[in-house]
Amino acid sequence: MASSSTSVSSPPMPPANADLQTTWAYLEEGVDHIMTKLQTGVSYSKYMSLYTVSYNYCTSSKMHSASEGMSLGQRTGANLMGSDLYNNLIKYFMQHLKTLREGAEGLQDEALLKYYATEWDRYTTGANYINRLFTYLNRHWVKRERDEGRKSVYPVYTLALVQWKTNFFMPIQSKQQKLAGAVLRLIERQRNGETIDQGLVKKVVDSFVSLGLDESDINKVSYEIYKEHFEQPFLEATEKYYRKESETFLAENNVQDYLKKAEERLREEEDRVERYLNTNTRKGLVSKCEHVLIREHSERMWESFQNLLDFDKDEDLQRMYSLLSRITEGLEPLRKKFEEHVKRAGLAAVSKLVSEGGSGEGSTEVDPKAYVDAMLEVHHKNSETVSRSFRGEAGFVASLDKACRDFVNRNAATGNSTTKSPELLAKHADVLLRKSNKVAEEEDLEGALNKVMILFKYIEDKDVFQTFYTTKLSKRLIHGVSASDEAEASMISKLKEACGFEYTNKLQRMFTDMSLSKDLTDQFKERMQQNHDDMDINFSIMVLGTNFWPLNPPAHEFIIPADILPVYERFTKYYQQKHSGRKLTWLWNYSKNELRTSYLNQKYIFMTSAYQMAVLTQYNQNDTLSLEELMTATSISKEILTQVLASLVKAKVLISDDKEQYDLNPNFKSKKIRINLNTPLKAEQKTEATDVLKTVDEDRKYALQATIVRIMKARKTMKNQQLIQEVIAQIAQRFQPKIPDIKKAIDHLLEKEYIERVEGTRETYAYLA
Amino acid sequence: MVLLVTSDNEQFVVEKEVAERSVLIKNMLEDVGESDQPIPLPNVSSSVLKKVLEYCEHHRGEPLPTTDPTDNEDTRKRTTDISEWDQKFITVDQEMLFEIILAANYLDIKPLLDVGCKTVANMIKGKTPEEIRKLFNIVNDFTPEEEAQIKKENEWAEDR
Repeated sequence: MASSSTSVSSPPMPPANADLQTTWAYLEEGVDHIMTKLQTGVSYSKYMSLYTVSYNYCTSSKMHSASEGMSLGQRTGANLMGSDLYNNLIKYFMQHLKTLREGAEGLQDEALLKYYATEWDRYTTGANYINRLFTYLNRHWVKRERDEGRKSVYPVYTLALVQWKTNFFMPIQSKQQKLAGAVLRLIERQRNGETIDQGLVKKVVDSFVSLGLDESDINKVSYEIYKEHFEQPFLEATEKYYRKESETFLAENNVQDYLKKAEERLREEEDRVERYLNTNTRKGLVSKCEHVLIREHSERMWESFQNLLDFDKDEDLQRMYSLLSRITEGLEPLRKKFEEHVKRAGLAAVSKLVSEGGSGEGSTEVDPKAYVDAMLEVHHKNSETVSRSFRGEAGFVASLDKACRDFVNRNAATGNSTTKSPELLAKHADVLLRKSNKVAEEEDLEGALNKVMILFKYIEDKDVFQTFYTTKLSKRLIHGVSASDEAEASMISKLKEACGFEYTNKLQRMFTDMSLSKDLTDQFKERMQQNHDDMDINFSIMVLGTNFWPLNPPAHEFIIPADILPVYERFTKYYQQKHSGRKLTWLWNYSKNELRTSYLNQKYIFMTSAYQMAVLTQYNQNDTLSLEELMTATSISKEILTQVLASLVKAKVLISDDKEQYDLNPNFKSKKIRINLNTPLKAEQKTEATDVLKTVDEDRKYALQATIVRIMKARKTMKNQQLIQEVIAQIAQRFQPKIPDIKKAIDHLLEKEYIERVEGTRETYAYLA
Repeated sequence: MVLLVTSDNEQFVVEKEVAERSVLIKNMLEDVGESDQPIPLPNVSSSVLKKVLEYCEHHRGEPLPTTDPTDNEDTRKRTTDISEWDQKFITVDQEMLFEIILAANYLDIKPLLDVGCKTVANMIKGKTPEEIRKLFNIVNDFTPEEEAQIKKENEWAEDR
């Protein structure tokens, strides 16, 4: 509305065909106004006049040459007028910047930076304006010059920057890097904890980037000025500053405090880039800091690692991990130390257990549960450390695994034998899966089984575990003491997942046999009810595949007591009808019976083994029998029979004075109605472990031979060394084979002519089809 | 709304969006800021501005050509096609055609400049030098030697 009545007194706009002098005089006044007093404003008419004058000047010359006809000299003729304006602009900028330079004289540090930043703002704003006023010059004359290869001609804004660089920036910088120095000192003050004007730093630093000029393509950003005049000195100053600081700090403080300090400093520097540096500097700055703050002190960090582990300094460990993970090879020593630490802890835990448990006694049999728990605790604790402090990093997981494998397989309880751990683990699993186990809750049992699997993973001799487990499982099934089918199935599927189908094949077959046997018993009973009314014996049978069950028939004859003979015969007949051609072997040594007493006032039920039953039924005819007579009647070996008799004497069912004669105790008394006489024989117990190991040894021989044959069949010929390595690689999942065993297997196969030596060589074998 | 004043002092009130088809005006409004001052256009007469504004009105809202010279310079140059509306718009006498070209150049309206220049190019296309001289009223100031020289240099372009 109220338009300014007092128009700024300025010379009138020159006519369209004005000469250079008049034209420039008018333009210079306008340019200077914009560069120095832009804040007082520019009117539309002023702006349009300035544009029009520069436009007229540039076009008028063209019109002249055009009106003179399409002469051959046209190309140079059109350029002349633009260059005059351009050169005058250069002259103006130089003069203007000289004034600015004088203003900067005597200024230092922050004052200098403030002056520089203010002037930079004013200058670049003005230059942008002027760039647009001279659009026509840029679009035609400058473009033509550049197209023709004169790359030192720039669009007006770029020209202004180039002039600033040569006539203002460089002269100041040439005085001991006055400008960059001022910036660096300001940054150092901030590092020392002072508050500084970050906007100021940012402005100055940004100007360094703007001043970079890519000569080949002015639209591209070049960081040469920024790098040379700021980044490089900045990185040097940073290195010096932190080297000194970290050394001083470590001299007075412990490593834990230093970790905190370093972490903080690294964060600060990354922040610094974010706040006021060019993002390109991040990489260089961070790696410089990592070098000075971490790499140069990594030795001390590595040394104090053990201490942090010993005192469970989770947070410090985490800090150390994340710092050292930033430098190459920074974690490797930690991983090694961690591995040793875990191994030591595991070995110590087992040693402690052994020394506590085996006080006095010569043979120190550790309790499976205590053994497993001790190792699990070590694993659990350190696995927590890995996930909490080392972020579950793969290298540390590998260290943990390696350490666990070491102490799980070889420790104070195992001695040199690698079969002890799988045995104890299998026993522990057996206890868990038994009815008698107090861990009744399903979830707890599942959890406990999962824990078994944790250790199982580390077991080297997985085949030993398998054999013990099979034995234990067969007992649980035969004696009906398994806690639950569900838990058994769950455990088997875990093992299957870990080791494959083949590993659990037998175990699964055992379950199949059990359910088949149940059906068979039912069917047999039904049949008997149809044909015979005189079945007063309750009978159930388990028919178990010879190949799948680790059971041995009795080593001696056994005369089947007359009382059960009819049932025995009926079943045998029934079975042969159902499955002709199958051979039934009766495992009396695993059978169980229940006998009802009729010779006492009180009726008791005796739970007995088949042998005990065989002995006791003899007393249906006699009250007194000699050892000799019993042997003849039952055909049980003397060694076992004496044990059987001893157990009956101990239970006071029989009375014996001289070990040669046994009388039925007519005054037997017990508080319970059901009495379990069936205690396992000593001989059986003892041989179990050695039997299992014997089986394992046999199995291994076959496994080795089978593997060799498989490899040779695939490869046809192979060198000795290669073959051995291949065998180890393939079989290591089951157990750690010993080289002499492999050699023995090879010899055996040579003998059997599965393979032969290639003629003329000593070391090469060939497969014989 | 902005107020434009032509060299012959006629005033035009136009919507900002229309006026800003001229990059010159657009830049100035950006730099100086908006106000109700009149904007003088000392190089444009009212008859021409009327015509130019007609063009700007029709093409309002279309994207402005980018300032990046590498971007669409080539496609812009390559074709001599002119859209139907533009064709009708530019069917004016020769004098007006040149005035429009000059104004488009001055006001920095690249698409309009292109339409004008293409029209001239189409007028020249397929004509002999003599016909062209006649069309644009040009006096032949070459000497016969010069003319022969030029002909020889440009032989490759002959349509034979």
